[in-house]
Amino acid sequence: MLDPDLAAEVLRVARSRGGAFAELYVEERTSTQIRLDDGKIEELTTGLDRGAGVRVARGTSFGYAFSNRLDRDALLAAAQAAAASLEGEPGGVVDLRELDPPVVHEAAEPAGSVPPEAKVAWLREVDEVARGASPYVRQVTASYGDSLQRVLIATSDGRLARETRPRIRLVVQVVAARDGVIQTGFHGPAGLAGVEFLRSHPPAATAEIAARRAIAMLDAVPAPAGEMPVVLAPGMGGVLFHEAVGHPLEADTIAKEASVYRGRLGERLASPLVHGVDDATVPNGWGSFSFDDEGAPAQRTVLFEEGVLRGYLYDRLRAEREGVPSTGNGRRQSYAHPPIPRMTNTAILSGTSRAEDVIADTRRGVYVAALAGGQTNPATGDFVFGCSEAYRIEDGRLTTPVRGVNLIGRAIEVMSAIDAVCDDFDTWEGVCGKDGQSVPVGSGSPTLRIARITVGGTGA
Amino acid sequence: MPDLAELARAAVAAAGPGEAVEAYAERTVRTEVEARGGAVEGLTFAESRGLGVRLIVEGRLGYAWAADPSPEEVRATVARARENASLATPDEHHVLPEARPAEPIPELYRPEQASMPTERKVALALELERRTVSLDARVRKVEDVRYGDAVSEVAIVSTTGIDAAYERTDVWCVVVALAERDDETQTGFSFRVGRALPELDHEAVAAEAVERGARMLGARKPPTMRVPIVLDPFAGASFLGVLAGALTAEAVQKQRSLFAGLVGQAVGSPHVTLVDDGRLLAGPAASPFDDEGVPTARTELITRGTLNGFLHDTTTAHRGGTVSTGNARRAGYRSVPSVGISNLYLEPGEPSLGELLALADGGVLIQDVSGVHSGANPISGEFSVGATGLRISGGALGEPLREMTIASTIPEMLRAVTAVGSDLRFFTAVGTPSVLIGEMTVAGR
Repeated sequence: MLDPDLAAEVLRVARSRGGAFAELYVEERTSTQIRLDDGKIEELTTGLDRGAGVRVARGTSFGYAFSNRLDRDALLAAAQAAAASLEGEPGGVVDLRELDPPVVHEAAEPAGSVPPEAKVAWLREVDEVARGASPYVRQVTASYGDSLQRVLIATSDGRLARETRPRIRLVVQVVAARDGVIQTGFHGPAGLAGVEFLRSHPPAATAEIAARRAIAMLDAVPAPAGEMPVVLAPGMGGVLFHEAVGHPLEADTIAKEASVYRGRLGERLASPLVHGVDDATVPNGWGSFSFDDEGAPAQRTVLFEEGVLRGYLYDRLRAEREGVPSTGNGRRQSYAHPPIPRMTNTAILSGTSRAEDVIADTRRGVYVAALAGGQTNPATGDFVFGCSEAYRIEDGRLTTPVRGVNLIGRAIEVMSAIDAVCDDFDTWEGVCGKDGQSVPVGSGSPTLRIARITVGGTGA
Repeated sequence: MPDLAELARAAVAAAGPGEAVEAYAERTVRTEVEARGGAVEGLTFAESRGLGVRLIVEGRLGYAWAADPSPEEVRATVARARENASLATPDEHHVLPEARPAEPIPELYRPEQASMPTERKVALALELERRTVSLDARVRKVEDVRYGDAVSEVAIVSTTGIDAAYERTDVWCVVVALAERDDETQTGFSFRVGRALPELDHEAVAAEAVERGARMLGARKPPTMRVPIVLDPFAGASFLGVLAGALTAEAVQKQRSLFAGLVGQAVGSPHVTLVDDGRLLAGPAASPFDDEGVPTARTELITRGTLNGFLHDTTTAHRGGTVSTGNARRAGYRSVPSVGISNLYLEPGEPSLGELLALADGGVLIQDVSGVHSGANPISGEFSVGATGLRISGGALGEPLREMTIASTIPEMLRAVTAVGSDLRFFTAVGTPSVLIGEMTVAGR
C-alpha cells in the first residue's frame, strides 16, 4: 500500500521540528452500499476512499494534517503541516519493524468476491420475509453494506502495523400500521467478517426480528411512569453500559475532569454482580481489530471486577500523559481524523441467574426488549434512553407492550442497582459517534435486572 | 491538478448513449484548533477533494464515488456507477434537473477568511477558553473549546446542461464549560457560527456557556406537574430536527410523514410559521443552488398554523407532479442526493424571552432535552424525552431542575404553541426562537 521507506521519510520530516513522537496513518477503503426501500432497490453505491494522516505529538498537544493523495509530495507536505506548530530540534526515527498481530479477524468469504446480484437478492429476501410476517407491515427499508479497509500505521518509535479489516452489516427497518397506529421495528447485526457472517445471521431472521418488533408494538399502551424494576433483554444492558459507563471511562473524558469515574479506581461503583470489559480481540466482532488506529495491539481491558472499577480506556496520547500503557483504544473514523479514546466491544459478562426466574421474581415492572439509543452526560452520569420494544411485567409475567418508555437515571446509581445478571449473553452492534467521528462498536450483556430506575412514560 | 469543474466535466464526458450523468465535485480545506489549559491541545489541517457520479439509464440509478481520483479513476468511477445502475429497480421519476440559472450569494465566500492566518485562529480558541474560566468562580474548567473553519468549493456538471460552481467559507466556535460546586458538576454549552472569524463573538459565547452551566448547579428532580413550558432555542432546535424529517415530500410519498394528507389544514396554532430558506445568509446551510444544481428558494411550509406543502427535490417533484423547491441535499460527494431541509426555522414573533417568562409563571424553562433521536418517533410524532431546565417564578428564572421527562406528540405540541419569541437562533441547519407551550406534563418524582 505504501513503501515502508517512504513511510520512514515522512516520519523524519514530521520529526524535523521535534515533538515526542510522530505517526503516519495510511488508509484505503472500498465500500458497497445497497438500499432497498418500498420494495425497490433504490440505491447502489460503491466508493473508493484513501488518504493519509500525519500526527506529531508534543506533551499534551498534537498537530495533525491529512491529505487524500498518497504521493510523496502530498505526504511530505502533510508532515510539514503537522509539525508546523513546533519549534524544537529534529527528533529521531527508529527503524521500522513490522508487528505481529495478536489476533487476526479473517473473512472466510470476502464480500468483494460475491457478485452484487447476490447482495441485491439478500435484500429482496428481507423484503419478502418482512412483508409476509403480517398484513400490518406497511413498509420495509433494508440496507446492506460491506467495506474493505486496509491500513498501514508507522510511528517514529519504530512501530509498523498493517491490517485489512473486512466489515459487513445488514440493517432492516419495518413499519407496521393498524387503525392509525404506526410502529417501527429495527434490527441490524454486523461483523468484522466476510459474507459467511450472513450464514450465522441470515437475512430472513433479521427481517423476522425487525417485523416482530414493529407488529408487537401495535398493541402498545402508554408506558407507566415512576420508579420501578426494569429487566433488560440480552444485549441491551451492554448498550446502556456502553453509553452511560463506557464513555465516562474513556481517558479523554477523564483527563478533561468531565467524568463521574475520575480518580475512583478501586472503588465499588456497580453491583458486585457486574463484571465489565472492553475487548477488541472478540473474534470477528464488529468493534474488533488486530491493531488499534495507532498501531497498538488489540487487547481485552477489565473495567469492572465484581462491581469494583478497575480500568480506563486509553489511547497513546492520554496514556503517555499519565505514564500508563495504552489499552489499545486509540481509534479514528478515517485518515481525516486524529485518533481518540474509543470503545471496541464493551460488555457486561454473564452471571448465573436464569432470565425466566428473574422475570418470574418481578412483581411489577418493565421489560425492555430493545433500546432505541440514548444520551448521556459523562460529567454527571445522567442518562436518558428511549426504548423501541418494551412490555409491562405483571405478577412475574410479560404482559402488555408499552410505548414511549424512557429510562432515566445516573450511571453509578443504576449500575449499583443491578440485582440480577443472567447467563444468556448476546451482542448488539452499532455505530458510535463522538467528537464528530463515527466508529463501529459492539456491546453485549446477558439479561439484567435493575432493581429501581425511573421510567418516564405517559400512562398510569 | 485539474480544477473541480474540469474533474466533473471529465466524468460527464464519459456518459454513454442514453445515459444521464451528473458529477458532483467538492474540495474542502479545514482547520480546527482545540484549546485546553491555556495551550493548544490539537491543531488539525486538512485538504480533501472527491467526486460523486450519479448515472441514470432507463430509470435505473447507480452511484459511485472516489476520493481525489486520477483521470483513469474518474472513468472507472463512471463505469462503477453504470454497473450499479444495471442492478437497480427502474423508477421513471429518477431524472436529473434541467439547467436553471441560480442567483449567486456573494457574501457566502469571504476572501479574507480564506487567507486568515493560523495565529488568529489559535488566538481565538485560547481567548475563548481563558474568558470562559475567568467569569465565574464556579467555572474553572472546560470540557471542550474548539475553533473550526472550512473553505469549500462545489462544482456540479450534468448531461442535462448544468455546469455550476460556488465557493463558501464557514467558521464556528464551540465551548462546553464545567460548573462545579462540592461534588456536583454541570455542563454549559454555547457556540457561534459565521462566515468569517471576526463574526464569532467569543465573549458572548463564553458568557453564555458559563451562565448555562452555573445556573444548573443544585438542580433537583421536581415533582410531576402539568405546567406551561418555555422551550429555549437550544431545546426547541432538537424538536425541529424531528419535525424536519416529516416535512419532506419523500416522507409523504413513502407514507412516513405525520403530515401526509394535511395540506391546507391547521397543523399548529396561529403562532406557528415554519420556513425553509436555502438563500438565508444567516443560516448555516445557505447556498445559491442545491446539491443537484437547482436554485435554492424560500419555502413557507406552515403559515400561521396551516400546512402549505412539502420540500421537494427533482425526483419527488417529478413523482408529485410539481417543481423542485431546491432541497436536494447530500452529505458530501460520498452520498446520493435526497430531499432534505436547508435552513429550517420557526419565524420569530415579537416577545422577548423575558415577556415569554412572564406569561409562563409557575412553569418551566427547558434549556436542554436529551434522547430526542431515540425518544421521538418521527412517523407517529410521539416523543418522550429527558429534560433539564429552570423553574419560572415571578417572571424570572428560579430553581434548577433535572431528571425530568416531557412526553407528548409533535402535533399536540404545535397546536399548544401560545407565543413565539423574537430570539431566533440557528443550530446547524435548524433554528427556533424561544417558544411558549401552553401546558405540558413534566414527569419527575
